[in-house]
Amino acid sequence: MKRCNDVCCVCVGGEMFRSALGKTLGFVGYTIQYGCVAHCAFEYIGEFVACSGPSMEPTITSHDVVFSERLSRHLCRIENGDIVIAKSPFDPHMNICKRVIGLEGDKVCTSGPSDVFKTHQYVPKGHVWLEGDNLRNSTDSRSYGPVPYALIRGRVCLKVRRGTSPDPSHIHFNL
Amino acid sequence: MFRSALGKTLGFVGYTIQYGCVAHCAFEYIGEFVACSGPSMEPTITSHDVVFSERLSRHLCRIENGDIVIAKSPFDPHMNICKRVIGLEGDKVCTSGPSDVFKTHQYVPKGHVWLEGDNLRNSTDSRSYGPVPYALIRGRVCLKLWPLHHVGALNQSPTGRVVRRSD
Repeated sequence: MKRCNDVCCVCVGGEMFRSALGKTLGFVGYTIQYGCVAHCAFEYIGEFVACSGPSMEPTITSHDVVFSERLSRHLCRIENGDIVIAKSPFDPHMNICKRVIGLEGDKVCTSGPSDVFKTHQYVPKGHVWLEGDNLRNSTDSRSYGPVPYALIRGRVCLKVRRGTSPDPSHIHFNL
Repeated sequence: MFRSALGKTLGFVGYTIQYGCVAHCAFEYIGEFVACSGPSMEPTITSHDVVFSERLSRHLCRIENGDIVIAKSPFDPHMNICKRVIGLEGDKVCTSGPSDVFKTHQYVPKGHVWLEGDNLRNSTDSRSYGPVPYALIRGRVCLKLWPLHHVGALNQSPTGRVVRRSD
């Protein structure tokens, strides 16, 4: 009788383990599935970006949070004047936030406002010319040249200003 | 009946989106199959070869000199290029041809790589368009899958121009 009880205890223990394993695997499976769906939503629809740095003042100040939509980039509808988030050409892990001054084929002015001789450059195919709104305090295409279009991640379309109170009146459309 | 059909359709669409997203993430983070075209990587890779390009090296920044990579073309965001990494950031690369009298060199800037095709006579690469930002690299080619009699790992560079690192 004792042996039967032992065998039954082993059976029940094995079943509990299998059920716990099954639940864990199921949970992991659901997490992977919904993680992938969320990743694709951020990749193809849009993402929230916290900006830092002074190069886009006064349009975007440090610690502002903006929403960057991805559809324009995928459908190649980025236009002059758009503010874009792009991967930095000098650090693949950093992103930069600048305004598009010229698209491929455009003639952009590469000299400063105080220069006597104006110099110009044509933006090569597949590239864009980016400049920050704060010209005095921005490292952009004026120093590192045109940026490949493929580095652009998305177009900033609205700003959610970060403050002490998330007041809806602080949401701005159409930068 | 209409509600039941609508429910089934929505359920089917929901499943398709879910598994489409999982497949997309697998291609994005694990690897993808690439059909190559063009002569710029001969004899290592010929036109119409199919290779497997893994993504982990790119995400973990483990691309090294001598690796063959798939990258987005700097001149066309919809096209991809397949070249060999000759130099990483900070390396000194030779920018003159083998027949030039005066050898010229250039340092690869931070965050960029120097790419060249194995078929030096018939390849448009960093020798014409300069160093390419690392962020444009999509993946590292690790296996050739077609044609079947050449399945396996890829050969070392036949050009001897890959920068050797001391570390």
